[in-house]
Amino acid sequence: MQTLILPFLILFPMACGGIGYIIGNKKEEIRDYFLWIVTAMVLASTLLLRGEYKFLAEGFSALSISLQWGGLHSVLAVMTAFVWLVIMVVSKTYLKEHQNKNRYYFFIMMTLGAVMGVFLSADLYTTFLFFEIMSFTSYILIIHTNTKENFYAAYTYLAFAVIGGLVTLTGIFLLYDITGTLVFSELKEALVTLENKNMAYATGILILFGFAAKAGMFLVHTWLIEAYTQAPTTVTAILSCILSKTGIYGILILGGILFLHDETWGMTLVYFGIFTLLCGGILAIYSIDLKKILACSSMSQIGFILVGIGMQGVLGEHNVLAVEGSILHMVNHTIVKLILFLTAGILFLNTKSLNLNDIKGYGRGKPFLMSVFLMGALGVMGIPLWNGYISKTLIHESIVEKILLLEQAGKSTVEMQTIEYLFLIGGGFTVAYMTKIFVAVFVEKPKQKQYCKKYINGILKAVLGFCAILPSLFGIFPHLIQDNIAKLSRGFVYGQPSEHTIEYFSWINLKGAVISLAIGSIIYIVWIRMILMKKTKEGSVYIDKWPNQWNIQKQIYEPIVLQLLPFLGALTARVIGSVTEGFIVFCQITIFNNKTGKVIPKEDAYFSVYTQAGKRIFKDNLSKSLAFFGAGFAFAMLYILG
Amino acid sequence: MESILQQKVLLLLPILFPIVSGAILLFLKSMDDRKKRQWYVAVVVIANAVFVLTAIYLGSKEAFVLYEFSEKLSLKFYIDGLSMVFGTMVSILWVITTFYAFEYMKHEGRERQFFSFFIMTFGVVIGIAFSKNMLTLYLFYEFLTLTTLPLVMHGDDGKARHCGRIYLIYMMGGASLAFIGLVFIGIYGTSLDFIMGGILDTALAQKDKTMLHVVYLLAFFGFGVKAAILPFYHWLPTASVAPTPVTALLHAVAVVKAGVFAIVRLTYYNFGTEFLQGTWVQNVILAAAALTIVFGSTAALRTPHIKRRYGYSTISNLSYILFGIALMTPSGLEAGLLHMIYHAVLKITLFFCAGAILYQNHREYEYEIEGFGTKMPIVFFSMAVVSIGMAAIPPFAGFHSKWALATAAVATGNNFAYIGIGALILSALLTTLYLFALVIRAYFPRKRQYPKGYDDAVADPNKLMTVPLLVLSGISIIIGVYPKPFMEIFDVIAQGML
Repeated sequence: MQTLILPFLILFPMACGGIGYIIGNKKEEIRDYFLWIVTAMVLASTLLLRGEYKFLAEGFSALSISLQWGGLHSVLAVMTAFVWLVIMVVSKTYLKEHQNKNRYYFFIMMTLGAVMGVFLSADLYTTFLFFEIMSFTSYILIIHTNTKENFYAAYTYLAFAVIGGLVTLTGIFLLYDITGTLVFSELKEALVTLENKNMAYATGILILFGFAAKAGMFLVHTWLIEAYTQAPTTVTAILSCILSKTGIYGILILGGILFLHDETWGMTLVYFGIFTLLCGGILAIYSIDLKKILACSSMSQIGFILVGIGMQGVLGEHNVLAVEGSILHMVNHTIVKLILFLTAGILFLNTKSLNLNDIKGYGRGKPFLMSVFLMGALGVMGIPLWNGYISKTLIHESIVEKILLLEQAGKSTVEMQTIEYLFLIGGGFTVAYMTKIFVAVFVEKPKQKQYCKKYINGILKAVLGFCAILPSLFGIFPHLIQDNIAKLSRGFVYGQPSEHTIEYFSWINLKGAVISLAIGSIIYIVWIRMILMKKTKEGSVYIDKWPNQWNIQKQIYEPIVLQLLPFLGALTARVIGSVTEGFIVFCQITIFNNKTGKVIPKEDAYFSVYTQAGKRIFKDNLSKSLAFFGAGFAFAMLYILG
Repeated sequence: MESILQQKVLLLLPILFPIVSGAILLFLKSMDDRKKRQWYVAVVVIANAVFVLTAIYLGSKEAFVLYEFSEKLSLKFYIDGLSMVFGTMVSILWVITTFYAFEYMKHEGRERQFFSFFIMTFGVVIGIAFSKNMLTLYLFYEFLTLTTLPLVMHGDDGKARHCGRIYLIYMMGGASLAFIGLVFIGIYGTSLDFIMGGILDTALAQKDKTMLHVVYLLAFFGFGVKAAILPFYHWLPTASVAPTPVTALLHAVAVVKAGVFAIVRLTYYNFGTEFLQGTWVQNVILAAAALTIVFGSTAALRTPHIKRRYGYSTISNLSYILFGIALMTPSGLEAGLLHMIYHAVLKITLFFCAGAILYQNHREYEYEIEGFGTKMPIVFFSMAVVSIGMAAIPPFAGFHSKWALATAAVATGNNFAYIGIGALILSALLTTLYLFALVIRAYFPRKRQYPKGYDDAVADPNKLMTVPLLVLSGISIIIGVYPKPFMEIFDVIAQGML
């Protein structure tokens, strides 16, 4: 009976989304409160559910659907439900002036159900099924405002979702062919007996594609910046906090279950992670749009998580640091980004702009807003006593551990040391761009502009205030909170318990954070303040040096997908397609002496119409027909006689 | 003796009843009264659907001979698993289409002629389903071309006549190729009957193996004309000039699937898969199917005319089925049949949606329907649901069949089957693009300003059209979520047990 709560967690929000739609047609206010209650109920049930459950529905679909509760599943489910409750509550204020709210609420609830499905899934097929549903329902959310830029962003999102989904499906299909199973618990041993691993790696890369696209990995990140910037703020928060984590969940399945303790796979992921975090960091530094900076920051943080997942493979059996680090950074990033995007939303609500030059100094004299933002910023920067520090330290320590192991074995540590430095520089980027936002919004003097004094209502204040406590709560008591989360969820990727507790605040661990801080301050002072800012009469101005000429989407992907491939396809199709038509025309010329003329009427270029054929076809062709008949007759005679 | 008589009645009634009633309607001037005619047509179609289902589910599995020309050549009828599937699918969809056509044909004129041929075609298609041997099937196959020609040319203007001519050229050409197959089966087979596993005389066939392979190829492409395989596809998009009920029912379900049905009979019941498996012929038809799959989707993507786009989509999807059949394994056949059912339901709905837009607003092109989504809620809701199914997004219909096709393809280990999987994936992507382009345009218009009167009269059509749409999209969801019963039945059929 209790296992039924698992499909309930998926279907209940979806069904209530439908009910909400009906209610919303009558009375919008009631719908809002109704959906608050619904999400609160979902959160309550995720919090109250203890123990481990499994749910299996066979014959429901081509393969069976299996769900699981416990461990990482429950952590992610609670996280999702919490974020959703916050988003539902603040949506009321944030979307006040939007249209089509009914549609928005319906699809946001559908997305909740689908995300729950992804996080509770216990086999890859189920993951993929809900992952696809989620992609499509969230598309409607992104396109919500339906402006021109928004349309382009949403279209790119959809293109990546669809292409990624299909590539992943191909991979899953091949995997099923190789292993004969898609259930997580069986996948662990599935590749062990395999002799030639190249096929398995190819399959893994295919599966990775779709998940990585959702997470925003380097090379498939191009949709992310536009979509995050153009979507409504609440949707951006969901994208960054939850949807990117569904991609990470998929990558975790690959790195932590399918390719368990596989060094090649791990190393590949580490490199992708490093590129992602550096690329995201640099883009964030160059950007002068608040939401864009946060979007790039999301990408950068995803890079940190990817490094962590990669290190799980590199370290092999003793990977508990990497396991805990990557999982905790998922949770921490969610909390922090929720705060930051909601703050950005408030800024946008009041100033109608997100350009740093426009909103400069808006936060001065608003201590509440400043402290909320600061909590999020310090969290993501990885400052000791805030939550991001713990997870970043764990991932950093896992790299250090690998270096130590290599030293013990007497092998070269150059590669790993480079990775460590790049990792710390990435942390420096985070510090630099968060400082940039903070200084711009809360320190610098505003241009002469008057804003309405009341910028936030009571409910928002309560919600934001509560969220803002979390980063420091998580950071000050790491053993109480973070360690327990890690302990609960590490079984998912077979992390062994560590022999000793980690002293987070020992000097050796603090060192990494200090180095990152130092790098960050240098980058901020030298790069941002000296190169990316200009002094004018009205004070300093942020210059838009966004590298437009370096757009891989516009310069590589779009020409290939939209021009080269269609051209080749059309060429081939036309050549093949004209074979029969050519034959018919040939027959007309030879049998009827003349080809009937083709007329294309103006009003319909896609239908072709022939001119009226002459009525004397038979007479005109009599001699020819007789000749054909004679030839045929002669041939038949010859055959019979011969 | 009695049971044979009973069987005769059971099987012949659903074939002859509509043909006769259709012919009568053609000469009954009094039926020009719309109300009277609609009653007549509705009664005939529903009664016949009941007859078909009765024959299928109550009749015995015995075959009977109607007329014997010679020892081998005879008109023979029976019902087996395949006829059950095809017959059931056609009858249910026929009833639904009839109601849709009542409303739709109002603006096309000459309804009496239309409905009389419409009814006659029903009988002919059931004849194809119930045939026991190749001769009978071939006979009804030719009839099918003749009874549907007036439906294609219904518009009776230059365009329609031109398209009718193309239709005729292709169909007759195809039938002549198929006829070659018929003759050779007569010579090399022990009989002309359909028996799972084939009826070729093994000793005789081994001697002229290569020639028989060529003959099979000719016959395959001959029947393949109706299934619109490359390079014989051109008639299908052209035929979308016909009234929508015809395009929907005949050119997405009855006619094209009769081609598929004939190919299944030819491959599995006459030549036998053992004779063909692993030969170059199989590779050729697998390659042709894979090519058509991609071609159809590509062509659909660059066609802005909605009905023609769906026409090209049909070409692509028919080759999915042919691909499954060409794998020549039980699981391949099973997957092909599954896709046949799914595609029938999904595509007929899509055509109904296109027809509803055409009927209400005379809009035929992709760019003309911007922002209609909220104005015609039921039509576009159905379109969206079905498009999701066609694009193979789980758990909607369409996903399972493609998954089954891919699984069956991998199981054969044939290199061409792997190419086919690539084609399936590529086509799935293109399918998503060309179907969603319509839905997205309708729901998310790009322009904000339209000329005055642009969408004043845009609204859902009346119940005769919307109810079939809702019923069909409901069916598509149900068969998508619960594919198990179908899979079980097809499994039995593919094993040759039913």
